[in-house]
Amino acid sequence: MITSAAFVAIMLVGVPIGLCLCLAGLVYIAASGNPVLFQSYPLQLFGGVDSYGLIAIPLFILIGEIMNGGGITRRIVDMAMAFVGSLKGGLAYVNILANMFISSILGSATAQVAIMAQIMVPEMEKKGYDKTFAAGLTAYGGMLGPIIPPSVMFVVYSVLAQVSVSDMLIAGIVPGVILTVMFCLVIALMGYVYNYPRADYQTPRQRVATILRTSPTLLIPIVIVGTILGGLANATESAAVGAVAAALVGKFWTKEFEFGQLPQMMLRSAIYSAIVLFLVAAAAVFSWVLIFGKVPQETAGWIQSAAKDPVSFMLICNVILLVIGTVIDGIPGLIMTVPILLPVATEVYHIDPRHFGVVIVINLVLGLLSPPVGLCFFVAAAVTGAKPGKMFMVTLPFFVISCVLLVLLSLYPSLSLILIK
Amino acid sequence: MPDVPAFSARRIVVNASSALLACERIALMGLMYLLTGLILVNVVTRYSHFPIYWIDESAVYCVVWLTFIGASAMTRLRLDFAVTMLTERLSLRHQKIAKVISTGLVVVFGVALIITCVLWMDPIGLARAGFDGRKLAAETFNFLYTEHTQTLNWPTWVLYLTLPIFAVSMTVHGLANLLEDLELVPRTPPKGFALSELDGVN
Amino acid sequence: QAKEFRLGLITPNGHSWNKAALKFGDDLKAATSGRLTLTVFHSGQLGNEPAMMQQLQSGALDMGFIQAAELGSRVPHIAAINAPYIVRSTPAVAKFVRHPAAIKLFDVLPQETGTIGLGWGITGMRAVFSSKDLNSLADIRGMKLRINPTPVYRDFYSSLGAAPTPIPTPQVFDAMANGQVDGLEADLEFSWNQRFDKVSKVILQMNAVFMPMAAVVSGRVWQSLSAADRELIAKTVKSTLDAQIDELAGNEPTLIENFRNAPIPIRQVPAGDTEAVIAEFDKIWLPKAPVLAELRKVGATL
Ligand code: NA
Ligand code: NA
Repeated sequence: MITSAAFVAIMLVGVPIGLCLCLAGLVYIAASGNPVLFQSYPLQLFGGVDSYGLIAIPLFILIGEIMNGGGITRRIVDMAMAFVGSLKGGLAYVNILANMFISSILGSATAQVAIMAQIMVPEMEKKGYDKTFAAGLTAYGGMLGPIIPPSVMFVVYSVLAQVSVSDMLIAGIVPGVILTVMFCLVIALMGYVYNYPRADYQTPRQRVATILRTSPTLLIPIVIVGTILGGLANATESAAVGAVAAALVGKFWTKEFEFGQLPQMMLRSAIYSAIVLFLVAAAAVFSWVLIFGKVPQETAGWIQSAAKDPVSFMLICNVILLVIGTVIDGIPGLIMTVPILLPVATEVYHIDPRHFGVVIVINLVLGLLSPPVGLCFFVAAAVTGAKPGKMFMVTLPFFVISCVLLVLLSLYPSLSLILIK
Repeated sequence: MPDVPAFSARRIVVNASSALLACERIALMGLMYLLTGLILVNVVTRYSHFPIYWIDESAVYCVVWLTFIGASAMTRLRLDFAVTMLTERLSLRHQKIAKVISTGLVVVFGVALIITCVLWMDPIGLARAGFDGRKLAAETFNFLYTEHTQTLNWPTWVLYLTLPIFAVSMTVHGLANLLEDLELVPRTPPKGFALSELDGVN
Repeated sequence: QAKEFRLGLITPNGHSWNKAALKFGDDLKAATSGRLTLTVFHSGQLGNEPAMMQQLQSGALDMGFIQAAELGSRVPHIAAINAPYIVRSTPAVAKFVRHPAAIKLFDVLPQETGTIGLGWGITGMRAVFSSKDLNSLADIRGMKLRINPTPVYRDFYSSLGAAPTPIPTPQVFDAMANGQVDGLEADLEFSWNQRFDKVSKVILQMNAVFMPMAAVVSGRVWQSLSAADRELIAKTVKSTLDAQIDELAGNEPTLIENFRNAPIPIRQVPAGDTEAVIAEFDKIWLPKAPVLAELRKVGATL
């Protein structure tokens, strides 16, 4: 109680979120009468980022930097424009579709938002979209990252829940595709209400010319996917290989990349990564003190007494996970909640653990898109300069439609289980 | 803006912060190059059937150091995510007060982290034990200086040094920011950081 | 006086170690009519094993189930229990870890790690899952093999001519599926849960190494307990671990049956292949952990 109060109070004064989490942890230890925990505090902070999965974040941010610096992203956008740009709200579709494509490479929502915000927001702004909407839309596009495979969160979940990794990844496909389609429908609707810009008309000949002119950019995703499928690299390592490919394409084909730019790109990637990674460390320290104080365990007991059947259990879980997701990042959130909620789900309500994993992950990711912490909004804000609070309001329809998907999933588990076996 | 004498405590804090930031800038670039290099070497050596055993672990610690050095630098660059819903509705005067409080809490955290690091790493106990980690362990149950990492086989305390360094540099940066917020020194624009315009944060 | 203990371990809910931890809590509560209780923190909720060790040393955490790999990386004497071919079957493992010689390894724990060891729990003998055909130890030569990165295993699999490759646990399945490694080594229970048989061509039962876990208590906490409570805790831990060991060894035939029903062959390493491997391994490890000689003697009698 005192921890949450301290957290909210210092957050409202404008203390950086990472520090709020860290300070709340210190306040909790001081109040718990267990001062010996102070000795473990620095090590918990260290342990929060002492994880192989997180290496992907700086590397993927680096790809984004190099692709931007080499003028490659602009060409990808040109290509997507040639396909769907002439629709009303064309660039908004391009944004979601590009995100869906990238999400099959990237495993992390925050990394994806960092890259896509750099790529898409300036382009959308140039074409006359509101910057806040563009940044917010990109943040929602980033939701697809952890849902459509490969996904670091699903991998972590499958280890926590002892279910097959490949089953988990497959389970994410149908909900991910449904979400993409629903986002496109929202764009169509909002496009008519707000009269989104349509790009300039292109003749079929112009389109073919654009696609041919821009096709070497496809080399980068081909290298990334190819090194994974060819057994050369895992998803993280393929990012480093992809960065090299992007540098070479930028140097020898677009001729906009110079190796002299590399030190600054390295520096920016490092700083943007540190912003995200420090939050992960802070979240780890915060969840450690909560777990030590058995806050999550008590919550589980309360759910069990409140829910009478699987559907109401799932709906209560949706609300709770959404709230947890608002202050805690995806992977720490999983580590906190899965061990407590999963046994209740499988043993008391006989819910399939793979289905439960899909719901938990979508929930926590949606939490990344809601105030007060809304990590994805802050990442988009850091890269674009838009305001996180306004971003949430402008993109409210996407939040609503995501909640609709969660309710659908709670009612129809077959949506996530249909492709398994 | 008051004149600042050449050798005042304020000047020392601001200069120390600038010097730290310059080191952090170099370290961040270096770590990012190192990380990319390590991962690429890993791909090549594993593919040619000569995997290097300690690369994964090195890459992970590279990212850990990058996190805390970057977190310190971003404090000085005022890049952290903060909630501005409430503060942006305040009057200019109250905004300044909120700013001073929040920057003050950065310093509070820095100092608190220094204290927890001292409790954990027990430098005084270590000196008393004649810098013998095993003797310290026998006396205090603190085994920090006897541990090694799994594949690199480095002493772990060397890697953990990033935390006390972070605690000290964050305190210095926090103090420099606080002096600026209290308008006791003029604002110093950071050198060598070409970042995008970030008005949404802090 | 009443006390609430905290026990940490890294395995997820449902793992046989976790069931043992929960049962230990129940037994302790029942034996003291609720005076002593236990909260189990699983899946590394309180941090990874190094972080849990630090909390055990400071007294923030009362108890832990810590793998021999973690203790062995601190104390070579303990690492001896991970050495290859001390025993050659899971039933023998079950006997071995309860033998006084294995329990005696704990004598060095208080001084070297600040914890008190109360007993071993087990996982079964580890097997190699491979995407190439394997019939004998010789076939392992030249394989890129994902291993648990403990120094003992590294030396063992290196001596077989494999290129040991550390891959983080969550990524093992994918690394195997897309060919980053040619094989992996793991215990059968974990392998069945992860369905490694689906990405392999053959399973080779090595009958060489196993990964036990030590039930440890914080030295600081132990000092603060009354003699009667210490005795009760030691007794309860022992009976819980006994049950865990027997259950795990008892389940192994079912697991092997599961793998037999999978469409890939499961083979055994011929016993004659192992002499040279043992000699080479002991050349490195006997100087570091002289206790290994005694463990081999005991193992041979089981
Ligand atoms: Na993904
Ligand atoms: Na959130």
